[in-house]
Amino acid sequence: MTIIKRIFEKREITALAFLIILFLGVGLRNPDFMNTQSISTVLKGSVLYIFLAVGMTFVLLTGGIDVSVGATLGISAAISASMIRDGSSVVLSILLAIAIGLIIGLINGIGVAIIKVPAIIMTLGVLGITRGTMIVYTNGKWVENLPDSFKVASQANLGGLNFYFILAVIIVALVQLYFSRGKTGRFFAAIGDNVEGSILVGIPVKKITVIAYVASGFCASVAGVIFASQVGFVTSNTGLDIEMVAIAACVLGGVSLSGGIGSVIGASIGAIIMTAINSALIFLKVPSFWNKSIQGSLLILIVVSDVLIHKYFQDKARKQRLSARSSFVGGDK
Amino acid sequence: MSEKKSLIRLNEIYKSFADNEVLKGTSLELSEGEIVAIIGGNGAGKSTLMKIIMGIYPLDRGEIYIEDKKINMSSPSVALEKGIYLVPQEPLLFPNMTVEENVVIGFNQNKSELGEKLRNLIKQLGWNISLSRKAATLSIAEQQLVEILRGLLREARILILDEPTSTLTFNEIQSFFKLMKDLQAKGIGMFYITHRLTEVFEIATDVVILRDGEITINGPVSDFTKEMLIKGLMPDSVENVKEDLENDLVGNKEDLVLKVDSLSGYGFHDISFSVYEGEILGLAGVVGSGRTELAEAIFGMGEITGGDVLLDGKSIKGYKTKEIIDLGLNYVPEDRHLNGIFSMADVRLNTTSAILSRISKVFINHRKEKEITQKYIDDFRIKVTGQDQSLKSLSGGNQQKVVIGRILSSNPKVIILDEPTRGIDAGARGDVYKIIYQLKKLGLAILLISSDFEEIYELSDRAEVMYHGTNHVALSKEEITMDILTLAAFGA
Amino acid sequence: MKKWKAFKGKWELSLVLFLIIEIIMFGLINPRFLKIKVLMNSANDFVTVAIIALFMTLVIITGGIDISMGSVVGLSSVVMGLLWQELGFNIWFALSIAIIVGALCGAFNGFLVGYVGVQAMVATLGTSFLYAGISLVIIGFSGISPAEGITGFPDSFRALGHGKLFGVPSSLIIFGLLIIIAYILLHKTTYGRRVYLTGINKEAAEFSGIKTKLVILSTHMLVGIGAAISGMYITSYLSSSRADHGATLTLSVITAVVLGGTAITGGEGSIVGTALASVIIGLMTLGLQMTGLSTQFVGIGIGLLLVISVAIKSSLGEGNLFSNIKRKIKSNNG
Repeated sequence: MTIIKRIFEKREITALAFLIILFLGVGLRNPDFMNTQSISTVLKGSVLYIFLAVGMTFVLLTGGIDVSVGATLGISAAISASMIRDGSSVVLSILLAIAIGLIIGLINGIGVAIIKVPAIIMTLGVLGITRGTMIVYTNGKWVENLPDSFKVASQANLGGLNFYFILAVIIVALVQLYFSRGKTGRFFAAIGDNVEGSILVGIPVKKITVIAYVASGFCASVAGVIFASQVGFVTSNTGLDIEMVAIAACVLGGVSLSGGIGSVIGASIGAIIMTAINSALIFLKVPSFWNKSIQGSLLILIVVSDVLIHKYFQDKARKQRLSARSSFVGGDK
Repeated sequence: MSEKKSLIRLNEIYKSFADNEVLKGTSLELSEGEIVAIIGGNGAGKSTLMKIIMGIYPLDRGEIYIEDKKINMSSPSVALEKGIYLVPQEPLLFPNMTVEENVVIGFNQNKSELGEKLRNLIKQLGWNISLSRKAATLSIAEQQLVEILRGLLREARILILDEPTSTLTFNEIQSFFKLMKDLQAKGIGMFYITHRLTEVFEIATDVVILRDGEITINGPVSDFTKEMLIKGLMPDSVENVKEDLENDLVGNKEDLVLKVDSLSGYGFHDISFSVYEGEILGLAGVVGSGRTELAEAIFGMGEITGGDVLLDGKSIKGYKTKEIIDLGLNYVPEDRHLNGIFSMADVRLNTTSAILSRISKVFINHRKEKEITQKYIDDFRIKVTGQDQSLKSLSGGNQQKVVIGRILSSNPKVIILDEPTRGIDAGARGDVYKIIYQLKKLGLAILLISSDFEEIYELSDRAEVMYHGTNHVALSKEEITMDILTLAAFGA
Repeated sequence: MKKWKAFKGKWELSLVLFLIIEIIMFGLINPRFLKIKVLMNSANDFVTVAIIALFMTLVIITGGIDISMGSVVGLSSVVMGLLWQELGFNIWFALSIAIIVGALCGAFNGFLVGYVGVQAMVATLGTSFLYAGISLVIIGFSGISPAEGITGFPDSFRALGHGKLFGVPSSLIIFGLLIIIAYILLHKTTYGRRVYLTGINKEAAEFSGIKTKLVILSTHMLVGIGAAISGMYITSYLSSSRADHGATLTLSVITAVVLGGTAITGGEGSIVGTALASVIIGLMTLGLQMTGLSTQFVGIGIGLLLVISVAIKSSLGEGNLFSNIKRKIKSNNG
């Protein structure tokens, strides 16, 4: 059992192994799935989810949740796309879109950390407000006819890899470095792990919680800009339900929804898995309508086994502790 | 006092919670290299005092001096800065982080420097602990070591150890004491809270006994004998509720109701005793002796690995809680807030929570519910503004009366009372005792679990003493004295 | 603290007040809003939310949440449509099976939460994917266009969504009926009592011999049934059976429950509150549409209602983190 325990502690590795097996398994049936083009399509397609999952990881580590990221993605995509279409400077448009994401994150953070609204309620409310605002802004119309230069950026390659994917990898690496090496990096997980302990060792719990939501908003808005560039148009449904995919990706990659456990690398691998399942179905010539139920089953399977394994070890530790107490008789005579 | 440098001095500390005065002008001093053992029963104020030192609770009145400078201990960060570190009874580690991360978190220094410092510290102490293990995989003893490392890395001069040995095994205790002596040699001062008198003589330099928020004994260990300490732990005059009530007693001990036969489980093993109709059997033992685990196992909420429980001659082993309640055994849990009351709900909902299916089929019979509730309010003189008063607005004593009412409403033959007067003021305590006597008169078999030996002494017809998971001492009524109870429960 | 208590006792009263102000306000902007017929017909739109919210109240009182109900609405709609069209089942028989499917979906959620011990949020996130996925698979195999869904239901079935009894639209009758059922269930039966006790203190409920796992399972099952009924209604009202019928319900349902006074942390709440809040949300939707604002403002309005109502409660309440920690330390004190 300790081996199983070890493996489950390194969930990034299990997730990666799963991803490799997925590629190999599908590759056996259809070798085309393993060629560079197919792989690069999967990686390119996963960029959005990687960004969302990275932001979500900040929040989940603190023991919270952010379901507003889909709407944030939508509004950032709409704003940046419409400004660029109308001839504004690309840089300015992107900066504004990102500022919107930061503000939404700040509102979420203040609501959760300072006003103490439960995270699911706060972000659900902000989801409604943001999505409504987005559609009011676009008047419910599509934002189309983006300049080619903006769209072309999504096709840019560097050494065979998609430019946005490289950007995502850099961000993931930086955040991972921050979480493991930065002075305040471990604070996020500490809050989700043991709030009382965090207060006692002097962690600024409120400030760190706010930062987590701001990070999530930031990542979602970057994902929004990338969406606009990759897809080339923004509909009023952009980002709808995408928060569910992001959360699922995190869980697949070993981020715990009760806080304290997880890494951005795991979350990113989870995000790639979510995209890879989709492509795998195409290559297996399985109708794409299977996609959601496979994702759902996988998610349930993973959380259930996580819970059961955790319970098993917790129970075992408790029994050991109690037995140790009662087996020792008259020792301090 | 001594020539050694004073580390911390507490002067006339007062602290109340609501109308419960926990500390009544407590003064205490700790100097370099001293280990001051603090002993006292539950609710004596030990933990409160330590939490005041740590800045977790603000004090009502009094002064704290650190190295002879007056300090306003307003928050844990002030205490940490002044070199105080509390090793809590249940370590507050981050279970998903490694040992190293747990120790260095919250510091402002460079991580690799800290890591280096930590490794040196461990080498210096001669410990063998892997820094890369997750805290969740550590034993309680190891977790305590990590807590101590936290304190040492912060260069704490004052360590507060809150019952560190209560969850340790014999060997772990020995190595722990060795560590304490090492630290002592380095000039670190320690407050050592414990329940075990033998440990006081083994490790402490000074001893302080707290009783009801006042210090009854304070001085070098060498000035005292164990008997003197036990005397210090006991109240000046044992209240005479007992005699008033004893006159009414009918001593029929005929029908065996509950029989526990070599019962084993996690936290207790090979426990045997019997409880007869109209009898109170006291089960004495300190916190952590396995009493509550035993009670919960009998009540169908914990695992039984061996032995049997017979209710009216019929085995109830493996039955579900609901079935056990219906068969006539009910339980007043130890932790009232966690397991006993529905704080948001009103008196009526609380009283009838265990008998819903008896008073109603599908729809709640409100009339009957009100009758039952009113009966217990009247019988037990529960002070409420009405049946719809919420439990959280009642005093501890009245809450406990409601819980006992709930237990009785199920018409039990046996009731297990686990620490029935914990956190209850003296007046209400008398009321609860009277209720317990009433129940006895009604012919109920009562198992009274308590770490308050005065309570066992006052109420019990017979007593069993639990120590480290077994009941190795059985006392008849004549044998129950505070001395014997205390000695047996502290393992002496 | 006293202020908060008085406030809490009047929560339902303040909802009524809010409702009256809302009606007057929209009436002033557009007098047509005040026509009884218009008001009654507004139920056609909000009843889908209200039906689920009534039962969701029970789940949230136990301290859980269910975000898969949107998927269950779609799944039940698809199941019924297919059984009727592809397998030629009697429409009412198909409807009954769809409701059973809803109950099973809910029971599975409840099993994961109550017995396995998965957090309610996580479990229902997973099943939300699963149930929506199953709808897509079913549709995929049947070869029906997902955009159009199954149409052409018989009039008898369409009456479910469009019929009137003594001039009262069916939606209002269904709403009224379910309010009564949910009210009796939660406030008058021993079952409802167990739901409250489980939510207030699960441990103490166990010590009182209450089977809390079963209670949790059953509340989720009720939401599943509610979602399926809602799915039937919407299928009838729009005369089409589609997988995405419940796609946007989550926000409104949770808002109705929370605005109705149910604590998201469990232990308190009422059916009357949820019903009132559902009407408030429904009329707001109608009112905003009638004032000529784009329907998108509705989402903003609902979101604001949700956040503001909870913010008011949590800033007045005692359930904030700091007091909780203090209490915990206090209770350990010994």
